[in-house]
Amino acid sequence: MAAGSIPILRVGANLLVTVQTDLHDAVAEVFQQDLLATIEKTGAAGLLIDVSGLDVVDSYVARVLADTGRMAKLMGTETVIVGIRPEVAATLVRMGYSMAGVRTALNVDEGLTMLPRK
Amino acid sequence: MAAQVLSRAELAIVTEDDVVTVRRRVRDLAHQRGLDSFATAAITTAASELARNVLMHARRGTAVVEEIANDQRKGLRLEFRDQGPGIANLERALAGGNSTVRSLGLGLSGSKRLVDDFHIDSTPGVGTVVTVVKWARF
Amino acid sequence: MSPLPEVNYMHRLRLDERELLSRRNFYEITQDDLERLAALRPLAERHSVQVVDSLYDLILNHPESRVFFPDDDTVRRVKRLQREYFIGLFAGRCDLAYVEDRLRVGIAHERIGMAPKWYIGGYARYLRLLLDHLFGELAPAEAQAAYRSMLKLVMFDMSLALDTYIAANLDTVARHQAAIRELSTPVIRVHHRILLLPLVGTIDSHRAGQIMETLLLRVVEEQARAVIVDIAGVPTVDTMVADHLLKTTEAVRLLGAETILTGISAQIARTIVQLGVDISSMHTKSRLADGIELALALVGRRIADKVEHAAKAEAEA
Repeated sequence: MAAGSIPILRVGANLLVTVQTDLHDAVAEVFQQDLLATIEKTGAAGLLIDVSGLDVVDSYVARVLADTGRMAKLMGTETVIVGIRPEVAATLVRMGYSMAGVRTALNVDEGLTMLPRK
Repeated sequence: MAAQVLSRAELAIVTEDDVVTVRRRVRDLAHQRGLDSFATAAITTAASELARNVLMHARRGTAVVEEIANDQRKGLRLEFRDQGPGIANLERALAGGNSTVRSLGLGLSGSKRLVDDFHIDSTPGVGTVVTVVKWARF
Repeated sequence: MSPLPEVNYMHRLRLDERELLSRRNFYEITQDDLERLAALRPLAERHSVQVVDSLYDLILNHPESRVFFPDDDTVRRVKRLQREYFIGLFAGRCDLAYVEDRLRVGIAHERIGMAPKWYIGGYARYLRLLLDHLFGELAPAEAQAAYRSMLKLVMFDMSLALDTYIAANLDTVARHQAAIRELSTPVIRVHHRILLLPLVGTIDSHRAGQIMETLLLRVVEEQARAVIVDIAGVPTVDTMVADHLLKTTEAVRLLGAETILTGISAQIARTIVQLGVDISSMHTKSRLADGIELALALVGRRIADKVEHAAKAEAEA
């Protein structure tokens, strides 16, 4: 399973994607579409998006991530974004970009405790 | 603010990949100039926002990336120029924008808060030049 | 704080082949110069002990410079290094390896706090001593040519030592600044995964930014689940401070932790509401003890979740 070139892992009833490269336009579109299609197919209870590999998240990428979470939620899948780095968090709040409504956790383990087990 | 230019590079902004190129170049130079992780993230994100703005609103433009120094410290100066439609109401755009140029406004006002110096020159029908400076923390 | 190796300074000062060539050209150091100096090596070796002793006579007899060499062991060690350095001038090469070697001088001096005025004075004595020996042993024309070559290389060395000293000095200042920043943002681990940041004194925009950065780094370091920010020691809480607190809380949330603001006095509560600042999104308490209790409850709940999770996983395995 993959969202574009990004592999999707299954962890119990949840899905895990690790974003490491820049999500620019075309890549972001495919990422979102594939991810949602996979959610639809598997009926996953939860989704973890691991961004610990990103040292820069601009407003575009932030929007893609937040939107993806909101779309997944509409389909009944809880989303948690994990691993936002200190410098990324600082930059986002300084820009005034709000990721309100998006659940977050320190890492994958923490994120899993916030998702339904089944 | 007379600053000495230590290096200068001009990068074209025509495709999405160019935004990534600009980001990489800025990130590398920020590291070299000794900016810490927070300052590096700030200037690289600002560069990404501004390069994206050029692409979205003017379709093409140029980024000039300079390493600068004054008596006391070193830093980066970035210039984003395009010959796009220009911004009619700068004040409104910088304050967070009206809905039609909302993304542009957000990119500008957001970037402004991430850098030490921010200057914008925009003339409708002619083009826009945005100049930003980020210094290494002394 | 570990010292930076010479190679890092090579990179920092951009001492690559191109810079080396450029500098050699400017200092007019030619292959002839290097060969001339290499030919003088035997002479240098013959006089190295005397030259170095004389240099240290100068340094040790001057009260201000003597302090850098507190005991005999230090003097012996340094003299040995200095002899090696002196002979190095006659190695007949001026490549990147030579440069790397020379950078050590600047770094070492900065480390012990020995300002450039001392070693420039030292270089001056070197040159005077060499001048005497060269004219003492060689024919005047030869001696003059040798001295000219020597002068170029010594000046070149000095430029490297100075560049490195300045760079190392800036690093020291930066480190001190970082230490000061850390001291003014004392983040305390009060419990497993619970941090406490007692803010004291006025907070301006600049300090607020530093506080946020330090706090975020510590949250990750300690894998904190809750952060208590106590503002009882902050004299004025205006719109700007409130805005910074809100931003910091949101940034901490993005990392996956919760913030509890404590120390809200009656005075501060009135100011905040009257200013029209909305901090309802934050957990707030008046007393620190209540804040800690809330933090424990928040973290406890998560620990319970984790235990439940692990138990279910076991059962299903």
